[in-house]
Amino acid sequence: MTRPLVEFDGVDKSFGDTQVLYDVDLSVDEGEVVVVIGPSGSGKSTLLRCTNRLEEIQAGDIRLDGRSVIETDVNEIRQQIGMVFQSFNLFPHKTALENVALAPEKVKGRPEAEAREAAAELLDRVGLADQAESYPNALSGGQQQRVAIARALAMEPKVMLFDEVTSALDPELVGEVLDVIEGLAADGMTMVLVTHEMGFAREVGDRIVLMADGRVVERTETASFFEEPGTERGRQFLSRLL
Amino acid sequence: MATQTESESSGGVLMRDRLVKRVGEAAAGGFVLAIGGLLAWILSTQVDYELLSSPLIARRFAEAFFLVVQIVVISSLLSVTLGVFVGLGRISTSRITGRIAKGYVEFFRGTPLLFQLFVIYFGVPRLWATGEFPFPDWALPAAIIGLTLNHGAYVGEAIRGGIDAVPDGQMEAARSLGMSRVMALREVVLPQAWRNALAAIGNDQIILVKDTSLLTVIAVPEIMSVFRNINSNQLDPWTPLVWVCVLYLVITMSMSQLVNGLERRSDWGSDSRMFGRLSGLGSGGDADGGEEA
Repeated sequence: MTRPLVEFDGVDKSFGDTQVLYDVDLSVDEGEVVVVIGPSGSGKSTLLRCTNRLEEIQAGDIRLDGRSVIETDVNEIRQQIGMVFQSFNLFPHKTALENVALAPEKVKGRPEAEAREAAAELLDRVGLADQAESYPNALSGGQQQRVAIARALAMEPKVMLFDEVTSALDPELVGEVLDVIEGLAADGMTMVLVTHEMGFAREVGDRIVLMADGRVVERTETASFFEEPGTERGRQFLSRLL
Repeated sequence: MATQTESESSGGVLMRDRLVKRVGEAAAGGFVLAIGGLLAWILSTQVDYELLSSPLIARRFAEAFFLVVQIVVISSLLSVTLGVFVGLGRISTSRITGRIAKGYVEFFRGTPLLFQLFVIYFGVPRLWATGEFPFPDWALPAAIIGLTLNHGAYVGEAIRGGIDAVPDGQMEAARSLGMSRVMALREVVLPQAWRNALAAIGNDQIILVKDTSLLTVIAVPEIMSVFRNINSNQLDPWTPLVWVCVLYLVITMSMSQLVNGLERRSDWGSDSRMFGRLSGLGSGGDADGGEEA
């Protein structure tokens, strides 16, 4: 069961002259939920965006299931990595169902009826069966984000990446999105989450990765991190939150 | 004390608001009276109603009208199609394509349409030896080519603006699902860019309608040509001008109706669409579900 699914190996990333990731090593096992935390600007989101090559890295390698992400066709590798964004990014000209069915139909060439049927099941799974025909405009932020999760799941990815997916939500809508993610964790989905919801990180994360200034400064089992961080940076980060 | 001062001053502001509103109404009303009076005077003293309704001039204007409608429909379809490609060229990742598209736009927006029509109508046939030019009736093709190239540039800029206004997150989300750039443009970005650009494109197409009046100088028998002809024969400008005015308004107003219809059609899930669906469904079973959250 514990075989590494996503591996970061000495990853460096710069935007122009500004280096934002320094020699990042990280391994995510199959079925594992890794929560990446850290102060703003520490490179958490960039790390996720490098994984599906929304950003190109300057040195090192990222492997998915043993294959180098860098050397594989970008459109092929992205089909295996589900990405959910802070700002949902649903397609406003498509209904919830069409948002979910679009990529399986166009990218994987599934027949339309089959893609729509699968999309309806996924919407049911995120609790939005009754909103299938709604346009994103008519949905709340929490509902939109759940559709976005269903849309990513529709490609049957090996790993799901969540980039601060509750940060743009009204507080009372955060719970419904976190419930969906918890459900995925229970189903054994491999996930990397960047979040500021510490309570949730503690609940759902198998492991906590703390980043600061573009480096991984601590990686610890969730329980022990919140009881007694292994590093000074970890202690500082937690104390500032409390 | 402070509250009193506040209410006094806000009362003063309200008074001024009301005054401005009354002055505006007076100005607008005065304008309508002046124009309406002038128009009534012209229509009653200057227009020869026998000539206005004579079958001869009616037939000539009708012929010109249908010709203009044909030119508008063809040039419209061609210029919007061309404009989509120009807009795509402007956002191309290839620097060469981008520069060519930019140069095209700069040239056709930067020189007068009349100049472009002269180049195509008078200039191009001279590139052949005398008598060798293969199109004897060059005026109409030249007109359509000129209008298409000119308005293709404006539509191209409208489309580019529409694409720029689509948030980057849309492209990122589409690409993250494994779509190629071309597929993401086609399925996700362009439909939204089209909606964003519709008003500007509609505006440009209405200008295209009016630009057909320039075709009178390259011997296309359009509406203004008929006017010039009747005016010089009858020495009566006002009677044919009534025809001209009505005919252009018929085309431009149908064009705005068409654009409004297209805009309504791409009003995804916003209020007006919701209401449309609600009334369409009668009691509106599933459509009001979106309101609850």
